[in-house]
Amino acid sequence: MKIALVGASGFVGTRMMEKWLLEGSFEVVPVVRSYSSLAVMARFDLPWQVCNVMDPAALAKAFEGCDAVVHAAIGDPGQIERMAESIYRAAETARVRRLVVLSSASVHGQAPPPSTDETSPLHERHAMAYNTAKVRAERILNRLSASGSVEVSMLRPSVVYGPRSRWITDTARQLLDGSACLIRGGEAICNGIYVDNLIQAVELALTVPQAAGEVFLVGDAELVTWRAFYQCIADALGVGMESVRSIEPPTFARPLKERVGAITSLPVTQKLLPLIPSKLKRLTKVVLANWQETPAGNAWTLPSLATACVTTEELSLLQQCEWRLPMQKAQTVLGYQPGVPFNEAMRRSLAWLKFTGCPVPGII
Amino acid sequence: MGNDSISVVLVGCGAVSRFFYAPSLVALEASGLLKVEALVDPAPANIEPLAELFPQAAKVANLANLPLASRLVVIASPPKFHAPATIHALKSGATVLCEKPMASTVAEAETMVAAARASGSLLAVGLYKRFFPACEALKGLIEKESLGKLQRFTIEEGGKFGWQAASDSFFRKSVTPGGVLLDIGVHVLDLLLWWLDEPEAVRYEDDAMGGQEANCRIELTYRNGARGEVRLSRDWQTRNEYLFYFERGVVRYKVNEAQHLEIMADGMPTLLSGSLQNASRGEDRLRSGRVARTNPQSFIEQICNVAAAMQGREPLRIPGEEGVRSLRLIEQCYANRRLMAQPWLTPREAEAACRLSEGGVQ
Repeated sequence: MKIALVGASGFVGTRMMEKWLLEGSFEVVPVVRSYSSLAVMARFDLPWQVCNVMDPAALAKAFEGCDAVVHAAIGDPGQIERMAESIYRAAETARVRRLVVLSSASVHGQAPPPSTDETSPLHERHAMAYNTAKVRAERILNRLSASGSVEVSMLRPSVVYGPRSRWITDTARQLLDGSACLIRGGEAICNGIYVDNLIQAVELALTVPQAAGEVFLVGDAELVTWRAFYQCIADALGVGMESVRSIEPPTFARPLKERVGAITSLPVTQKLLPLIPSKLKRLTKVVLANWQETPAGNAWTLPSLATACVTTEELSLLQQCEWRLPMQKAQTVLGYQPGVPFNEAMRRSLAWLKFTGCPVPGII
Repeated sequence: MGNDSISVVLVGCGAVSRFFYAPSLVALEASGLLKVEALVDPAPANIEPLAELFPQAAKVANLANLPLASRLVVIASPPKFHAPATIHALKSGATVLCEKPMASTVAEAETMVAAARASGSLLAVGLYKRFFPACEALKGLIEKESLGKLQRFTIEEGGKFGWQAASDSFFRKSVTPGGVLLDIGVHVLDLLLWWLDEPEAVRYEDDAMGGQEANCRIELTYRNGARGEVRLSRDWQTRNEYLFYFERGVVRYKVNEAQHLEIMADGMPTLLSGSLQNASRGEDRLRSGRVARTNPQSFIEQICNVAAAMQGREPLRIPGEEGVRSLRLIEQCYANRRLMAQPWLTPREAEAACRLSEGGVQ
């Protein structure tokens, strides 16, 4: 089977390329947006395609002769929505049989309510623009495939980790510099999936006939808490978990820049922007660039010994998740059984971390 | 502009010319030292952005019909085109400043050096990091042993590849024979050769599996007992730092921070992190001057040195012979390369990786 992989230079795409090339599973055509994205995949001698993924005509040319397309590209919220349409239309022009899309469990929010599964209704009022964009992208693909010729199968993974993943690098960095923290001790559920397990699900979505028109939640086999996830990394680094502070969920005020960005990215604003004088736009940019979110601090304070805790809105919400996302549908329809157990997945992820030069005494 | 300003022919109008040579040459034209006479590139679209900066310059597709005698020819085309263009320019009586890596192979580079000797023309190589005040200071510390003998060093350089490549030629092994080692490794190994001379032993591994390496690791040992490890990456964000462990202290140079060093010497309870300044030391006085050269100013200084050498005012700081040295070390690395262990691969993948790395077909 010949597969075009859109987003071949991302974290998931890089591992997918690597695995499929080395195992000889599929003939792969990597598709990326810029020449600079070729740097890591150039380890292999490949027939890559560099084109604008927002241009269906250029993409269709890149998809020529492919049986299927995997969409693993990332982008800002606006790009996520536009790419969905562009990739579907290109696949149709190139007479591709199936399109497998890496959507996200975040269409249900980072901390979905109990009983959430693939049948749970989606909404477009998420606090995080990324979630809403993923919902809209799924809806665009459903609308197009309802009347189009390309079969669409969508996967909804949550926390995808593995070599090159931010969940490994960022957590390790925070554990090493003392800024790691867990919401309420990290007792919430980490709906993780090791990247190789996700690739296994993609392979099934590509080949199982009943996957057409379906969406699947996918994850690892084990139930893992955030504390256990951090513990694995801390143990390998030789960092005691007592250094990881337990905190209450913080409130996140949206920075002015982000609020303005959300408004300007709306389609209606995009239409109105050309009418605004360029002088005013420039002035706004200067004001935003120099905007101080927090007032300057008081110099007459004692030196702080503790490193500030680091968390993000996304991480904070994920660490409040009390629902193990089910994957019965993936198991029943696709025959999905995660091949790499959690402990082995973490060992491989941390072995990669050691490969980068990070001191990981717990990994031989 | 003075009548005796040096005429410059810029060959290759890609990214390095747009982001480095063009702004430097604009500044030097304004100073009256140089004037850009011609812009050379087979792709007219590459020339246009530079033509706006140098409207008086001729726009030509190749060097063949240009008068080159007494000119400064800057070669900034892809590496595989360096040797023929350089040799042609040298034979035509031009001084050449050739961007790093000076050639694709040592054999090509030696031909270029021989052409310079035969023609009596100057050949300089663009290894501008030697002009960083921080790198000059490190050379002094190593040579004068101000903090004692150098015992060991670790170097990590690179990050997600961000260079705005204009085509995929940079990543095609058939056009550019090496990856991260031939790219940023040229600077790193050139600095090491400049600071420490030739290593006694070198052990090299990378992750190329039929293409170019995105990551590599080099272990070096020196006759004086010093040893070091270099890790280069186009794949993930490294610490981008050089750490030198001397007998009486540690010095850190952060990549591309041309005028900044950090020192923690024995007896200092804290780390000294600061900007380098020009200064003069008298019997009872320390006179500090302006802040030392910045990164862009170091690039400009490199061109100034070539211009001064053309005018007989200064010796050439990085002649062709120096450029060959790092290339020779790189070739030695590639000749003895081993595949890096990639412990996240399954046994079946690792076996295939070995096959591909050794030139097999998947």
